Amino acid sequence: MTRDGESGVVRKSVRVQTPIERAFSVFVEQMETWWPAEHHIGTKPFASIFVEPRAGGRWYERAADGETCDWGRVLVWEPPHRVTFSWHLGVDWKFDPSLERASEVALRFTADGPSATFVELEHSKIERHGEGYEQLRELMNGPDAWARTLREYAVAANAGVNA
Amino acid sequence: MAIFQRLAHGPMAVHELAALVPVSRPAVSQHLRVLKDAGLIRDSKEGTRRVYELDAAGIARLRAHFDQVWDKALGAFQSSAEKASPQNDKAGEKDDKRRRKRRRS
Repeated sequence: MTRDGESGVVRKSVRVQTPIERAFSVFVEQMETWWPAEHHIGTKPFASIFVEPRAGGRWYERAADGETCDWGRVLVWEPPHRVTFSWHLGVDWKFDPSLERASEVALRFTADGPSATFVELEHSKIERHGEGYEQLRELMNGPDAWARTLREYAVAANAGVNA
Repeated sequence: MAIFQRLAHGPMAVHELAALVPVSRPAVSQHLRVLKDAGLIRDSKEGTRRVYELDAAGIARLRAHFDQVWDKALGAFQSSAEKASPQNDKAGEKDDKRRRKRRRS
């Protein structure tokens, strides 16, 4: 199990057979070629995903008709070694603009010889999504709102576990 | 009204929560029951009083969710990164992307 204080962290890694510059480039410049298509925030499917190449830059999707939808911010930009994003989506996959309730996704790229790259991902502070995510204001609106909100929460939570 | 948020800062008893929110103690109890049924909080006996706290299982569900998201995304990233040769595949597409960015700004 996870250590104390580590419950809000997910770590993943993958080794790719490609040089570090290209691994980084595919990650941040060609995200739409690999990002799971069902995981979008906008009402329409995305045509492109953009990462503005600087700390403080936007991370957003763009639909075929040009409509854009924010995903987060670039918190760290050190190509081709590190990039960190703020992550604003709980299990309901809705965008919450608050940085206080955002988690962080940090990527680290390490060359493994000239033609391979080790990519480590750390998604941390995910407990921050818990604070707002059953939408407390709606809970004040009476039993119906309560029940509905929590049903939706349960569906979302179960979908996250069972999908 | 921020029972869930208050509990995020640590366990509390019903009367402590009721003192912080502008609703009656029975209403607070009812809210707590619903939160508990939903698996968001849990209660325990602490001496003579019953205290409520956030249920770590809620966080575990979030974690499991992201675990799956990243498994899938990184698997697809690996395929994409290894698929085509670095020289010829994406130069045109990258230029296209820059053009689109310029147009927008």
